[in-house]
Amino acid sequence: MDPIVSLENIRLTLGGFEALRDISVSFTEGRSTVIMGPSGCGKSTLLKVAAGLVPPDDGQVRFHGRDVFQMSERALLAMRRHCGFVFQDGALWENKTLFENLALPLQVHFSHLPEAERNRRVVRTLERVGMEGSAGDRPAALSGGVKKIASLLRALVTEPGLLFMDEPTLSIDHAMSEHIHRIIHDLKARGTTIIAVTHDAQLTSVLADDLVVMDAGRVIAAGPFDEVKRSRVARVRAILSEVLKDIASYDTDLLELLDTDAP
Amino acid sequence: MVAALGRWANSKARDYAYALGFFLLVLKEVALFLRRRQVAFHVLVLQILFTGVEALSVISLIALSIGAVIIVEGSTVLPRFGQTSLLHSILIVVITRELGPILTAFIIIARSGTAIATELGNMVVSHEVEAYLAVGINPISYLVVPRVLGVTISVMALTVYFNLFGLAGSFIVAQLIHPVPFLEYFATLMRTLQPRDILSSVLKSFVFGVITSVVATFHGFKVSASVTEIPRAAIKAVGQGFVLCFLADAVITLVYYL
Repeated sequence: MDPIVSLENIRLTLGGFEALRDISVSFTEGRSTVIMGPSGCGKSTLLKVAAGLVPPDDGQVRFHGRDVFQMSERALLAMRRHCGFVFQDGALWENKTLFENLALPLQVHFSHLPEAERNRRVVRTLERVGMEGSAGDRPAALSGGVKKIASLLRALVTEPGLLFMDEPTLSIDHAMSEHIHRIIHDLKARGTTIIAVTHDAQLTSVLADDLVVMDAGRVIAAGPFDEVKRSRVARVRAILSEVLKDIASYDTDLLELLDTDAP
Repeated sequence: MVAALGRWANSKARDYAYALGFFLLVLKEVALFLRRRQVAFHVLVLQILFTGVEALSVISLIALSIGAVIIVEGSTVLPRFGQTSLLHSILIVVITRELGPILTAFIIIARSGTAIATELGNMVVSHEVEAYLAVGINPISYLVVPRVLGVTISVMALTVYFNLFGLAGSFIVAQLIHPVPFLEYFATLMRTLQPRDILSSVLKSFVFGVITSVVATFHGFKVSASVTEIPRAAIKAVGQGFVLCFLADAVITLVYYL
């Protein structure tokens, strides 16, 4: 299948630090890709570049073959309509209620719909996860886990075909994490293309069709999950073990855990 | 030494080019504001409410005080030189052409300029600006343009308000020193007031409004990653806002007398 997003020779320096070094990688439509690597290796930056949020110093980012940073305003808006992004810290708009956080993307992309219909969609989305009672709350009044789910809902409210997620289950409790796993599982079952940065071994086992391993601003392995997982490159194996070991709280052999099919 | 100087000059040139690019982008988005299908209109209304309406009490007090000070000083000093008749001209020149626009701008820089730089800086650090981009909202048209328009409209309206209150304040104090009928006092002021005084006041308030808002939004957006940059952005917004308003004031006044 054609790649939905492809990155060609991406270089990016942030604050004098070379965050991304000559990265070329592509993501296939309908498949889920997990990006892994040690902290600070450039995973989140790569995700933002791939989503067209951060322009690279050099190289090209293509969405369905078109250069994202050369697109017309109209084409870019159409691309945004097709994509959702879940930020690591939620990045909810603090000056808006939870309801308004979800309503704004609909107002941008579905302005042709009556306001009442858009509001119904927001309410339905909140009801799916039992959060309708918090609709009038500002993000400051929400817990970290609820913020994470709200951020995921905001990304999903426009029903995107491509979802970028940056550590969707980081720093939240087990129950919330399970909740997010279920939502993501449903998305994958519906054929949504997912590109996720995560250290969550269980989420990876559910999600990953493809795996990208990064180290020091470079992609050191990329391809189908089963192939990368069995890579004989010592650094790739070390990173996979090390990254997952830091987060996991159980004694299972982590690389074996990745072999399981469901949560 | 020469290399360091070169790097400094290069960095300054890049900064100015970036600032100019930001300003031109804002101008373009302002021009497109009414044409676009807007979700930002309520941001504009909120900005006018915060910058304009909520500053009325401060502006009123300062304008009344300034008007009173001028009339007390004028009515004390001018008679010594036999120039009592100049009192109204001085009131018009000082309040309408000079202090009205510049003091209003200073109040708004201190009040709204800092608030805008801080708010936008916080939004950058917490990735809220990236979240706007991710859902297809241009941060310049959604966050900057309503603030630029809101602050500029507010500074212009508040300057008119300042002028009226300044002249009203002087009338109240005039009653204590040398009671004059209301209609006579304002008729004399109106005779003294020239269209170009009004034009100067309007032009200055417009320019100061643009400077205040663009400088504040620019420094808010220049925050890159750390919350410690936010107070520095607010300080720069105030400092540069004051300096640029003074410079613009000097240029407009020079042009006025050419």
